[in-house]
Amino acid sequence: MATAYLLLAPATVLLLGMLAYPLGWEVWISFTDFSPLNDHGPRFVGLENYRHLLADAEFWRAVVVTVGFAAATTLAKLALGVAFALLLARPFRGRTLVFLAIFLPWAYPASVSVIGWYWTLSPPIPTAYSPFMGTLKYTVDGALGGGAWAFLSVTLFNIWRGSSFIGVFLLAGINAVPPELFECALLESRSAWRRFWLVTVPLLRPFLALAVFLSLTTAFADLANVWLLTAGRVVFPVVGTQAYWLAIKGGQFGPASALSLMLVPFLLAVLALLFRAFDPPAEARA
Amino acid sequence: MAQVLLKDLNKKYDEVHAVKDVNLHIRDKEFIVLVGPSGCGKSTTLRMVAGLEEITAGEIAIGDRVVNDLPPKDRDIAMVFQNYALYPHMTVYDNMAFGLKMRKFPKAEIQKRVQDAAEILGIQDLLKRKPRQLSGGQRQRVAVGRAIVRHPQVFLFDEPLSNLDAKLRVQMRVELKRLHDRLETTAIYVTHDQVEAMTLGDRVVVMKDGWIQQVGEPLELYTKPSNRFVAGFIGSPAMNFVDVGIQGSDSSLTAQGTGIRLAIPPVNASQLGPYKGQRVTLGIRPEDLHIAAGGDQAGYVFDAVVDVVEPLGSEILLDVKAGPNSLVARVEPTVRLKVHDGVRLAVNPDRLHFFDMTSEKAI
Amino acid sequence: MNPRPWWRRAGHAGLLLVATVYCVFPIYFMFVQSLKTAQEDVFGNPFIVTNPTLENFEELFERKGQPRNFVGRALRRDYPFFVWLENTIVIFGGSVAITLAAGVAAAYALGRLQPPGFRWWRRAIFATYVVPHTILFVPLYQVIIRLGLDDNPVVLLLVYPTMALPFCVWILSAYFQNLPREIEESALVEGASRAAAFYRIVLPMSRPVLIAAGIFALGTIASDFMIASVFLLSEHNQTIPAGLATMEVALDELLAVAGINLMAIPVVLLCAVFARGYVRGLTAAMIEGA
Ligand SMILES: Nc1ncnc2c1ncn2[C@@H]1O[C@H](COP(=O)(O)OP(=O)(O)O)[C@@H](O)[C@H]1O
Ligand SMILES: [Mg+2]
Repeated sequence: MATAYLLLAPATVLLLGMLAYPLGWEVWISFTDFSPLNDHGPRFVGLENYRHLLADAEFWRAVVVTVGFAAATTLAKLALGVAFALLLARPFRGRTLVFLAIFLPWAYPASVSVIGWYWTLSPPIPTAYSPFMGTLKYTVDGALGGGAWAFLSVTLFNIWRGSSFIGVFLLAGINAVPPELFECALLESRSAWRRFWLVTVPLLRPFLALAVFLSLTTAFADLANVWLLTAGRVVFPVVGTQAYWLAIKGGQFGPASALSLMLVPFLLAVLALLFRAFDPPAEARA
Repeated sequence: MAQVLLKDLNKKYDEVHAVKDVNLHIRDKEFIVLVGPSGCGKSTTLRMVAGLEEITAGEIAIGDRVVNDLPPKDRDIAMVFQNYALYPHMTVYDNMAFGLKMRKFPKAEIQKRVQDAAEILGIQDLLKRKPRQLSGGQRQRVAVGRAIVRHPQVFLFDEPLSNLDAKLRVQMRVELKRLHDRLETTAIYVTHDQVEAMTLGDRVVVMKDGWIQQVGEPLELYTKPSNRFVAGFIGSPAMNFVDVGIQGSDSSLTAQGTGIRLAIPPVNASQLGPYKGQRVTLGIRPEDLHIAAGGDQAGYVFDAVVDVVEPLGSEILLDVKAGPNSLVARVEPTVRLKVHDGVRLAVNPDRLHFFDMTSEKAI
Repeated sequence: MNPRPWWRRAGHAGLLLVATVYCVFPIYFMFVQSLKTAQEDVFGNPFIVTNPTLENFEELFERKGQPRNFVGRALRRDYPFFVWLENTIVIFGGSVAITLAAGVAAAYALGRLQPPGFRWWRRAIFATYVVPHTILFVPLYQVIIRLGLDDNPVVLLLVYPTMALPFCVWILSAYFQNLPREIEESALVEGASRAAAFYRIVLPMSRPVLIAAGIFALGTIASDFMIASVFLLSEHNQTIPAGLATMEVALDELLAVAGINLMAIPVVLLCAVFARGYVRGLTAAMIEGA
């Protein structure tokens, strides 16, 4: 057993080292009024920051937008991902090419493709497609409010990249299911739709669950990316960007910490549910 | 080549006491089979011999070395697993050569030994393939080949045939037996299949719940099972058991069960004397039951009703009911009987078995 | 099964086409722009390039393109693209290597050695994904200053693995857990020590899963530009994503697009080469050792 702990050490130290202190700090600060603008150090204020947030309409708007964004993109990614995986499940001529095409959005480094997307959708200089994009942006922002276009472009980007990941991931899942099971299903039900819900989905459950969770976490990461890109021009408030705004622009670290921690219980609850689906099963002893 | 000694061997997991006080002397060159229902501790015993499982208490000696604290690699054994455990990234050749390479054999020697083993097993043509390009039977051969190239002191087999289909299993069984006759290496073989045990073993060890039930040559286990479990486990179809009461005088004891009444043959009379007025279990093997004919003594026949008829070609298995008791009789293929027919059966009086009700030991 | 009717096959082909275009078009679009001259960028058809040129790429490495008319020469910045590229290769390669090394070790412990509570340990590692990263870099910065790694690319070698590790540990440990124990045990009986059995048997036979974990790590690491931008301030320490983010897009749009492509091409090629292995590895992780 000593070996086991020794082997676990590097990963654990790395994760603890990079996350434990920062997380602890954030939790502590969320109970204080810490701000670099104050001349005194952090003062304990109890649940004050949280109470404030819960009473703040802007916070609730951010929650709604965040949860909506995460749910909508996840659903879209799942739908597209499942479609991709099913398209690729059977052999056909040129499958490798289509597979590579579907793999591409994820394989293309998001750090730069997000920049590309943003610039393409909101061209900064007069290029050939600028007028078209400009009109689009103007129309969307006009209809939904300032920043809507930027928000929409993040959404589309997130779906575009995520569906690629989920598609390939689910393809691996389909390959993991013994083909006899699908054949069995073919005998039992003639309706492809019923087969899909009764057989494919349950068989892929662990993969779907894992995909959902990764999708949720990357959704938040993407939002953060765009905030930086647009220098805060995302007008639709989401929990992450609002926290960033409070901390960096407003120097209010207490409320910002409280705000960014608000989603943790929610994500943990989702995770606890999902663990039941994708935990590797206990090894059967012969 | 070596003998193997297991002394008061015990294995405890957190919740399970898997192996209990096992004592066994496996002689040099012997093919010994551990048999028993799933979960009875056969594999655990074998794995302790291999060094893959720590020994909770007791001692294992291979040759004249106590090996309790030796790692598997220093025990000079070879093992064949149920799932073959071939290395998927290596060719058949490399699979078979791995152990020799680890032991730093010269290249030419490795080559020669692998070739020899491949020839014995008829897998010369497969040496360049990867395991996933082989059929189940071929993989099995490679696993055996990997074991024999090293000329170890002891072979350990853990259900090596269980993943094969019935036909291949019979074929491989014969080959393993031939192989053992040729190599004369001590072998410990684990199986849950009593037919495999009976056909392969020089001696057979029957286990249940971690205990050894009986050790003996196959025929001995069959004709003189030491308890009710062994009697029921060895033989197919299994022995019939009927609860009976022992009645009568010392000179003419009878076994009285519901729907069955049999005289107790003189050979058993003396041992059963003390059981007069008590209940015991009567055991009759299916082949010791036949359709009553004129020659059968009146005390050894009883009436029954046919429940199921199973014609197997060379014989017929009759499932009959005598009162509440279900029995199986193995009868001539010429017998013509239908379901619900009444039938008079006779027992072979020399071959009745009696078991104590509480200790289940043979009387 | 019966041959499928023509309309089913046509439908399938149609869907494949739609899927392909949907996935590839944005990348195609970015790629086309990077091959354009400034002239064509403004006046040409946005979907095609008629006079493809590599001058944008060349310019990344040494500025020798003509200054555009409407921009004064003084305003144009030099970008140490070559240094960025070097940093990127070192940091990405290093981070993937660290992720794999730490991940394999942890996964082997969790999936195979299974110390008490291994299930919870594994869950805890995975649950680190819920930690909100938005303002985490503020306290992270304190840690980094404490470690004396301020504005040092080594920081990323510590931070990046934490982003990919949980998933890698998850799939690797599922794989090790499903791997028949007997394969390793067989090696032990054959004369290998535990270390040799791991090194000569377990590791080589896990190649597909290692590839899957490696590709996932690469994809994850390559998707970050926020951490890189926040922690690497001086120009000569930056990676390509961090550097590109500092470009003045209004002035150097084509250059930036070329930079995007230059960064993407090797990553994409690596992913493409190992794409099959990636899928096979993910599959293997979920069923017994394939
Ligand atoms: N590693 C283990 N941990 C806990 N219990 C085990 C372990 N291995 C085997 N057992 C238990 O020990 C008993 C004997 O197992 P085994 O020797 O494998 O039986 P078999 O006779 O079928 O080969 C079983 O009850 C089994 O569940
Ligand atoms: Mg067993």
